[in-house]
Amino acid sequence: MIPLTHFLIVGACLFAIGLYTVMARRNAILVLVGIELMINAAILNLVAFSRYDKTAYGGQAFALFAIVLAAAAVAVALAIILNAYKFYKSVNPEDIRNLKD
Amino acid sequence: MNPHLLTLLIFLPLAAVLLIAFIPAAKKNAYRYIALFTGFLQLILSGGMYYLFHPKGAGVTDARLYQFVDHIPWIRLDMGSLGQLEIDYFVGVDGLSMPFLFLTSLIMLIAVGASWNIQKSTKGYFILLMILNMAVMGVFAALDFFLFYIFYELMLLPLYFLIGIWGGARREYAAMKFFLYTLFGSVFMLLIIVGLYFSVTNPETGAHTFNMLHMMNPANYTPGSVFSAAANHELLGISARLLGFIVLFVAFAIKVPIVPLHTWLPDAHVEAPTPISIILAGILLKVGGYGILRICFSIFPDAAQQSAWWLGLIGVVSIVYGALVALAQRDLKRMIAYSSVSHMGFVLLGIASFTTEGTAGAVFQMISHGFLSAALFFLVGMLYDRVHDRHIYHFRGLASIMPRFTVFVAITFFASLGLPGFSAFIGEVFVIIGAFNAESVNGILPRWMAIAGSLGILLSAAYFLWTLQRMFFGQPRLKGGEEWSKMLVDASPRETFIMVPMLGLALTLGIYPALAFDKINASVLALVELVGNN
Amino acid sequence: MLLPFAGFLLSAALGKRAGNGAVATSAILLSLLAACYAFAQIWNQPPIHIQWHWFTIGEQAFHVGVLLDNMAVMMLVLVSLIALPVHIYSAAYMKGDPGIHRYWTYLSLFCFAMLGLVVADNLLLMYICWELVGFASYLLIGFWFTKDAAVQANKKAFIVNRIGDIGFLIGMALTYSHLGTLDTKALIEAPETLPAPWLTVAGLAFFLGAMAKSAQFPLHVWLPDAMEGPTSVSSLIHAATMVAAGVFLLARIFPVFDATVLLVIATIGTVTAFAAAYFALTQYDIKNILAFSTISQLGFMMVGIGIGMYPVALFHLATHAFFKCLLFLCAGAIIHEMQHAKETYGLDMDPQDIRNMGGLRKHMPLTFTAMLIASLALAGFPFTGGYLSKDALIVHTFEWAALQSGAAKLIPYVLVAVSMLTSFYILRLLAKVFFGSLSIRSVKKDIRIHEAPMRMLGPMLFLAGCSLFPLFSVNPLNDSYVWLMQGLTSPVSTLPPLRLLHLAIPVLTTGVTCIVAGVAWQWYVNGKYPLKGGGKFYRLSEHQGYLDALYDAAVVRPVVRLSQLLLWVDHYIIDGMVNGLSALGRSFAAVAAWVDQRLVDGIVRLIGKIAWGLGNVFRRLQNGRLQHYFATLFFIILVILLYHIVVLL
Repeated sequence: MIPLTHFLIVGACLFAIGLYTVMARRNAILVLVGIELMINAAILNLVAFSRYDKTAYGGQAFALFAIVLAAAAVAVALAIILNAYKFYKSVNPEDIRNLKD
Repeated sequence: MNPHLLTLLIFLPLAAVLLIAFIPAAKKNAYRYIALFTGFLQLILSGGMYYLFHPKGAGVTDARLYQFVDHIPWIRLDMGSLGQLEIDYFVGVDGLSMPFLFLTSLIMLIAVGASWNIQKSTKGYFILLMILNMAVMGVFAALDFFLFYIFYELMLLPLYFLIGIWGGARREYAAMKFFLYTLFGSVFMLLIIVGLYFSVTNPETGAHTFNMLHMMNPANYTPGSVFSAAANHELLGISARLLGFIVLFVAFAIKVPIVPLHTWLPDAHVEAPTPISIILAGILLKVGGYGILRICFSIFPDAAQQSAWWLGLIGVVSIVYGALVALAQRDLKRMIAYSSVSHMGFVLLGIASFTTEGTAGAVFQMISHGFLSAALFFLVGMLYDRVHDRHIYHFRGLASIMPRFTVFVAITFFASLGLPGFSAFIGEVFVIIGAFNAESVNGILPRWMAIAGSLGILLSAAYFLWTLQRMFFGQPRLKGGEEWSKMLVDASPRETFIMVPMLGLALTLGIYPALAFDKINASVLALVELVGNN
Repeated sequence: MLLPFAGFLLSAALGKRAGNGAVATSAILLSLLAACYAFAQIWNQPPIHIQWHWFTIGEQAFHVGVLLDNMAVMMLVLVSLIALPVHIYSAAYMKGDPGIHRYWTYLSLFCFAMLGLVVADNLLLMYICWELVGFASYLLIGFWFTKDAAVQANKKAFIVNRIGDIGFLIGMALTYSHLGTLDTKALIEAPETLPAPWLTVAGLAFFLGAMAKSAQFPLHVWLPDAMEGPTSVSSLIHAATMVAAGVFLLARIFPVFDATVLLVIATIGTVTAFAAAYFALTQYDIKNILAFSTISQLGFMMVGIGIGMYPVALFHLATHAFFKCLLFLCAGAIIHEMQHAKETYGLDMDPQDIRNMGGLRKHMPLTFTAMLIASLALAGFPFTGGYLSKDALIVHTFEWAALQSGAAKLIPYVLVAVSMLTSFYILRLLAKVFFGSLSIRSVKKDIRIHEAPMRMLGPMLFLAGCSLFPLFSVNPLNDSYVWLMQGLTSPVSTLPPLRLLHLAIPVLTTGVTCIVAGVAWQWYVNGKYPLKGGGKFYRLSEHQGYLDALYDAAVVRPVVRLSQLLLWVDHYIIDGMVNGLSALGRSFAAVAAWVDQRLVDGIVRLIGKIAWGLGNVFRRLQNGRLQHYFATLFFIILVILLYHIVVLL
């Protein structure tokens, strides 16, 4: 069998990449991608741990939930980005600074 | 049936203040008349009290011998572990204070008369004047030390404003100097008051008290307290009682004033407007002398005896120094201010002699100097009102231009330098006789002090006569020339009406000094005995 | 005594309307009558002493009282008797003067004070009258107050008198402190109660008072200047009465003086007599000559007291009063006429300068007669009262000197010399004024001088009569018959008489006077003046011994400079200390303000700055950048997780 650790490392790598994408991308869509990556990393973790729950398959059920939620989140986020683009004329999160002190 | 005459006398001006405060500023005249009316009432009251005053009322240490007494418990506060705070409204007169009360009402009335032409902020002026009136009356009548201190401090405030707002060119400087200088003295007095408070217990209630009469009785001191005579504590290397005496003496000596604590006086007198100079010279200097007698000598008679030689020396120095500096003055008002220093030196010399003649002479000199210096300042004010110049060298031969004024000036000058027939002579002669006597009676003052003091008589003749000759006799020659000649009108009826009673009083007291001596004798005897027995 | 005072008050009240002096004159007339009555009652009778309680100090009572004994009533009569002619004379002399009502007022005040002085029964009352006399003198000397010289003179007079007053005051205080009372009677009866050194001091102190009032050397400088006043004033006050007050005081309290003091008195009297006579020799102002003559005669009186024979001194005082007053009145008449001539003819001269006069004998014969009699009395010529008193004085001085030792023996010889000088200067005066020719005639040819008006002459002649001997003694040549002296003699004052001298001295002085008269005639009338005019001694005399300049330099200037120095001290040092204290206070205040502003407030502000800085730092977090927020969020969660892991492990 593939040891758990491998799954977790992959999940961590995915999470890190997602984090990097969120933090350092100048395109809001790519930030969304990053968020998706982080969520997927979490889902991967969940699925990895579900191996130990053979009766209820809680991890896998939770993973399905998370996928749906991710999709919903993306939909809403895309809507926000679209509206924000209409207003700010840019998808660079750096340009949206009105809440600056 | 106690008609509370004394309380009425003290607080009548307060009623006047309230009245003035509520009358709108449009009716300026009203203020003057209210003040005048109050002054008259006070004069009648104090005159009546003077007349009714029983000559045997020695007072000084014995509460029963004070007259017109009002003793009302005022503040009785239980302070827990510190005991009961006891401040009474305790006023009364004895032979020492009775003449001063009368003098105060007279001088205040004259000051109101001299203030007739004040134009600037009359409301404030008369309110302040009335507050001052009340405070001074209170100082002379108070027999509770705390009450005394309240009135004493209350005197300073109106004077600061009166000098600082209505005064001459350097009025702010003079007012500030006067206020801070006097305050400096009285602040330390507060320390001693508190010290005395904690040392003395009221024999009736057993609590600490501010009652001055209790402080005069050595039996009332709690054993081991700071100022107890028996314990004889030492503070800063000298006996506590001596220190207390010195501090209190300094506070009053600033007011007298003695040399070298006198430099506030020329500035304050010169810069103050005429009525304020009259009050300053007429009454406030006497507060100093009165304070020394009433408080320093009565509460610390032992320390007083120890310091008598120094007191005498200070007196002599004041006499001679004041007279010499007066000789060198070019401003008439300043010259008269320094002559006041010199004459008050006589008072100190008399007090220091601890003889009946000396002390009685000193009190008499204070009374006489009161209205004579008031007269002098009023005359200077008359001249200044007309031409706004007081420089002696700017005037010559005024006798031909203003004869009646010259007569007043000549009489006042001669009265002040001690011509017999006027009151100053009696005061000065008996001070010198008393000082002379001191060596045979109680061996306190050496004879040379009295001889040096009599030099003061010569010097006062010198500067007064020099001024008289310089300004009034000879051919008329004025700095302002024709213009001034026109402005120098002779004495108006109001001014004559004010001058004549003052000079008349000086003459009356000079011819019949019993008027004053009868009232003060018993107290002076009691005081001398009190001090002599220590 | 009270009558002139009433006169004074009335004159003062009436003001300008009292111009004719009727009030004053009638007052003094009534006083004279009262005085004569008192004299008749008291002379050689037991004295009357009345006291009224005045005031009490402590337990000591002071009284106002009247003591009438021989001395007092004699003085009473003397003063009123001299004052009355002067009043009458003044009416004519001062006529037309705009301030004449003041004159009568002051004159009445003076009479009141002088009469009060002589009847006072205690020292305090005497002192009061003493000062009042000085005050009246001040007013009268400075009567013409627009004249600068007059004003300076009266100031000088009062101040020099004040010096004497200090002496009197000290003597009084000493008496009081040892005797407990100021009654003169008590003092006379028991002077021994004062312990020895103080007795001398008291005596000297009283003498100091008399020195100033009676113009003894060196306090005599006010008297010549006092001549600025009207001549009638000079005659009354500065010749006859006020200056006599000092002598009277000494006579009154005579038992107080011990041997030392008496010697001092005699010495100073002699010096005065000599110096004044010396100064009188070269004066040009007629009144100055007479003033110095007065000082000189006062010196004589002092010597009389100093030798212990105060009755003689008082007798000389009485005679001197008459002839000196007369001398001044005559001088006044002459000055009056010269002044008149000056105004009428428009001359530019000093009406008092004797060099402007001459030959007035022809123009003013009666004045001349009166003045001649007075001058003879002054010189001590027989048949005058002055002869009796002066020679008595000199004789007694010789008698006294016989009992003394040392320098004191010189005194009588000096006195003899002085009387020679006296004759000289007074005859010089007479010669220059009345003989020869009128020098101002050389300027203008037709000047006419008139005789004095009757109102002036009357009193003058009356006084001339009094100067002659009949008033004083039946025998014109022998002094033992003088009834005045007999009344005054006290057991204290007798000296063993030297019979021979009683004859020798009068002869000597009379002889000298005649010789001097001859010399004076030669020198002044005939113009043969042998001595050089500007010699050293001459100038010393003329400038009155340079005493005034000496006083000015030694006393007045130093005092003024001292007072200015003290003023500087007062202003810069004492007041400087006060201002320095205030400057110190202000600098403390400035330091405190700096501390407050920089340090204390600085701390407060620092706190604020820190807060702001921190806030600033944290503000960076709010940069509106989404990703940044996200990163921060992640970072903090990471920290928390790590913390939990680390801690829980």
